[in-house]
Amino acid sequence: MTSLDLSTDRPARRHSLSLSIGLALVGLNVVVAILTLFWTPYDPLNASGGRLEAPSWLHWVGTDRLGRDYLTQIMIGARTALIVGTGAVAIGASIGVTLGILAAFATRLLDDVMAATLDILIAFPTLLLAMLVVAASDSASLWSAILALGLAISAIVARLTRILAKRVLRQDYIIASRTSGTSWLGVVAWHVLPNIWPTLSVNFALQFGLAVIAEASLSYLGLGAPPPNASWGRLLQEAQGTVYTAPVGSIAPGIALVALVIGMNLFADGLRDVGDPTRRRSR
Amino acid sequence: MTGNTIDLGELSRLSRKGRRSILASAALAMLSTSTAALAQDANFDPDASVVIGSLYEPQNLDNTAGAGQGINEAFNGNVYEALFTLTDAGDVTPGLVAEQTISEDGLTYTFKLRPNVTFHSGDPLTAQDVKHSIERVVAPDSKSSRKKSLATISGIETPDDQTVVVKLSARSISLPYNLSYVWIVNDAAKDLNAGEDGTGPYRLDEWRRGSSLALSRNDKYWGTAPTNGEVVFQYFTDATALNNALLTGAVDVITSVQSPDSIAQFKDNPDFTVTAGQSTTKELLAFNDRVEPFNNVKVRKAIARAIDDKKLLQSIWGEYGTLIGSFVPPTDPWYVDLTGVDAYDVESAKALLKEAGFADGFSFKLDTPNYDPHPIVAQFLQSELAKVGIKVEINVITANEWYTKVYKAHDFQATLQEHVNHRDIVFYGNPDFYWGYNNPDVVDLIKESEAAANTDAQTAKLTEANRIIAEDAASNWLYLYPQIVVSSSAVTGYPVNGLNSQFFAYNIKKSGN
Repeated sequence: MTSLDLSTDRPARRHSLSLSIGLALVGLNVVVAILTLFWTPYDPLNASGGRLEAPSWLHWVGTDRLGRDYLTQIMIGARTALIVGTGAVAIGASIGVTLGILAAFATRLLDDVMAATLDILIAFPTLLLAMLVVAASDSASLWSAILALGLAISAIVARLTRILAKRVLRQDYIIASRTSGTSWLGVVAWHVLPNIWPTLSVNFALQFGLAVIAEASLSYLGLGAPPPNASWGRLLQEAQGTVYTAPVGSIAPGIALVALVIGMNLFADGLRDVGDPTRRRSR
Repeated sequence: MTGNTIDLGELSRLSRKGRRSILASAALAMLSTSTAALAQDANFDPDASVVIGSLYEPQNLDNTAGAGQGINEAFNGNVYEALFTLTDAGDVTPGLVAEQTISEDGLTYTFKLRPNVTFHSGDPLTAQDVKHSIERVVAPDSKSSRKKSLATISGIETPDDQTVVVKLSARSISLPYNLSYVWIVNDAAKDLNAGEDGTGPYRLDEWRRGSSLALSRNDKYWGTAPTNGEVVFQYFTDATALNNALLTGAVDVITSVQSPDSIAQFKDNPDFTVTAGQSTTKELLAFNDRVEPFNNVKVRKAIARAIDDKKLLQSIWGEYGTLIGSFVPPTDPWYVDLTGVDAYDVESAKALLKEAGFADGFSFKLDTPNYDPHPIVAQFLQSELAKVGIKVEINVITANEWYTKVYKAHDFQATLQEHVNHRDIVFYGNPDFYWGYNNPDVVDLIKESEAAANTDAQTAKLTEANRIIAEDAASNWLYLYPQIVVSSSAVTGYPVNGLNSQFFAYNIKKSGN
């Protein structure tokens, strides 16, 4: 091996490590979430176990106060987390990217107004915004939580899109492309989006992790998915009083939550290293 | 006091402080402290400082100014006394009254006051002070939760300094009971929000807002002197911090523990004493009896039979707590064991549903306050009722929403709530109460019970009402909370029940070493 080989080898290994750990953690969650659609160890409403049983062969993670299987609850919690993460990012991405691009094309005054509005929205705490949306809707549900988090994410995505798009629009090849007859829509489709996509996708992955934590927080406060839809946040809340006598009830959903969020962050990290050409060159 | 004795103060506290306040247990005596008390009697320190850990810090020091239950805990019987005393065992005994005469028609009560009683400021207790004290509780701007129960008082006369004559517009057998929470304050006292002037065995030493309330022994007290020198109420906002304070010796006693799982660390440890009494706090599945399908008594009975209360109680409280068959706890005089009415029986529940025309079940929305234990109780009900084909949609709401939506607007199908009060069966005599139970027989019985000539007649009427609400399954009474007090084993003589949130400190003994 020559020294030249080494310099290209090392970063390549780094990328694959965080990307693959991230993919493994997220993948595990996805598999579990899909599995719950067809099979869970117990019926989530089945309260046949004893009160706060310790982990055993029958109940791998023990049971809650009502005698329900914790593993079942945590598995369904994985599904809830994925639905919320995906839903919130999808809403955030569609609104955010559209607004960001519009802002990038807007007149100076309109752009300033939009930028200021976005800054205010971003300064507004996500959880508070989510609580307002939940309070405004008839009753707390998974969908109100997703909508609320999606709106919060859309502001962040819009600001990022606006900055990235403006940078692309200043390039000479855009002018070249316009003079050769490409419409503005074509410019967005052929030049802007492909160029900003690597950075945006990393951001989406990060926002996904944040949305999962935010949903857990909302559920912890009783503003997320209503029972019986298990959510890690609600499991944590319900296990709070028994943390001394049955610690596994609070540790297990905590680990699941951390694993998914760390997995998503590592995935984002790996994605950035792989997908962002500027970074790859700088290393 | 008629059927419309809504304890508004109790409920507005709910809206303000949410879980803590409503969890507050007005608990009744079951377990006596005698066993523990005997061991320590010999070597207690008469000047000891006793630290009481509580979650209920008062907002101010006046129970007619919306101070919350914490002020009753700290001041009732300790700093302020009343004409009558509600003992920890649930009896009403004379307090500042030496002698009472009731007129033939039951409308005039003449009270002779105890002689030689002085306020902490040195002023003597006079009939004018008593008149002033009752009037400030019923005054229009009073925020006392008990105001309505004194509404039958039509006039107060003071023929001499030692005599108070209370005139009523209607018979009120509960008058002495109701007077037990009317603090007798000096009519010359100025700022009762931040100070005090009572007749009790302790005087206010120092109030550190957000932290503690210190009471020191009143050496000029007319009655038996306290068995300790000083009492400090130390306030916590977090139950875990409070438990840790007891573990580390920072507090000597915790007034009420709210989860069986935090007791584990104190049980079987010789350094601590755990006492479990029966509270008056009832966990309720309250239906809106006005609306379909809960206006059908068969549906309500079917639901009562479909729920395994025993398993639920065991899930929430482990080995603690008591099953009840109606709204009346065993410590109310009109208690009868009604747990056999609509006992757990899934098959007969199904049969009743069929008779009611709901063979295929139905679904309803259960408004569930977002604090423990309601969400977990809701999930239990959901799985139990699923077995008889009833689908429960859980709607999680905040304490404030509960107050506006359920309690005020009656905009609900069914809800979960705990009711803390002592002697509160009267709520079922008020058709306008949030659950809308309207049975003219019960309304009459409750009205008549208050106008009863003696307590036996009152008890007979309310026992009858109690049976009827149970047979009607007016609500579904899930279980009765335990009242659990935990203390260091060096401390004895505290009340185990904290009835109406009271915590008499004057008999507490702390060993000298």
